Amino acid sequence: MKEVGNVLRILKETKRLVEEDNSHALKALSNQTIHSAMVAQDGDNIVVAVLVYSLGKVLERGHYRELEGWAEFYDVVNKNLNLAIKALEKNNVDNVRVYLGRIRNSLNKFDGYLGEYIKDVFKKAEVNKAFKMYEHGLSTEATANLLGVSLWDLSSYIGQSHIGDAHVAITMPVAERVKIAEGIFEE
Amino acid sequence: MKYLIFDAGPIISLTMNGMLPIIEKLKSVFLGEFILTPQVKKEVVDKPMKIKKFKLEAVRVRDMIERGVFKMSSDVIPDDRLNNETKRILKTVNGVLRTTATGEKMKIIQDGEAACMAFAKLCKCDNVIVIDERTARMLVEAPHDLEKLMEKKLHTPLDAELSLLDGFKGIKFIRSAELLFVAFKKGLIPIKKSADLLDGLLYGVKFKGCAISSGEIEEMKKLI
Repeated sequence: MKEVGNVLRILKETKRLVEEDNSHALKALSNQTIHSAMVAQDGDNIVVAVLVYSLGKVLERGHYRELEGWAEFYDVVNKNLNLAIKALEKNNVDNVRVYLGRIRNSLNKFDGYLGEYIKDVFKKAEVNKAFKMYEHGLSTEATANLLGVSLWDLSSYIGQSHIGDAHVAITMPVAERVKIAEGIFEE
Repeated sequence: MKYLIFDAGPIISLTMNGMLPIIEKLKSVFLGEFILTPQVKKEVVDKPMKIKKFKLEAVRVRDMIERGVFKMSSDVIPDDRLNNETKRILKTVNGVLRTTATGEKMKIIQDGEAACMAFAKLCKCDNVIVIDERTARMLVEAPHDLEKLMEKKLHTPLDAELSLLDGFKGIKFIRSAELLFVAFKKGLIPIKKSADLLDGLLYGVKFKGCAISSGEIEEMKKLI
């Protein structure tokens, strides 16, 4: 794990924001996280960015609290965030991975809709973070590999990016590139 | 012999727009081969074959390989030679940008894109890489801009050793948009030719991952 101090700060902040039920701040925290995740290009940083964003989304959806399993899920989140923070304070990175992984794995145990809904939130959060990383300059393949999502899933999201419209992304006049394309097809 | 070397992105954006058959039509008028490296095949066939949502697309691309529309790079350059060059390119390119604060190298490209560049360098032939995403293109065509873009987005100063990229000068890139432009111009699209058709084709690939700006599309439409 890279940037351990920063990850510890983010986990502590996440715990506080979950307790305060502040979904808006959680999503903002996740956006900060993506900067460091991008620089570090480290799977653990990205897992944290996805987790924080997903928790923000889950808390934002008030009706999830009325579904069967909510109390159990909330308990799993708090308990494992605490354990992950303690483990990271002792620099026990392996255990941090186990505790953060338990939050997501717990979703397989719930009957009813809640588990499926939250799994979907995590899945979409991964693609959302992938999109952010692409916007930060990573190639599509590098992004897909880091997030563990397929290029096929990523393609529609990347199409929505304004990065292609950015002046810096235009590296050759259109007519010149068309000429290359027509040239290779000439007999 | 001429080669058109495909990265995964254009195959994905064309497939998702229902334009995979156009690749076959383009191949029929191309005096050369359409090349897939094993790294790209992994992304467009092997991985999606395990994802039900995209399995049909994977089967269709695999069928095109089996029918010879796409040739595997190993028919031209042995895999071990391509892999060695790919590794060398990855090491070079991913060492170009470092964070000023920590000296950490930024990994900006991966196997698929590097393998396309490796084939282009090794084949000693007339070739063009078809690649939809902008990072690899920027590395070769405008590396200063990539450095600026990443510094701006990351809010972190970067050190760049752009001379490492000198060996890549001369590699030529086009996108799925230019492929469709050629297909349109040659009348290979089985829909009545119209300005709307070209507009639809170009925006179609843009919204499925081709890094082309609206301004570029408008310019391209004027070239007809």
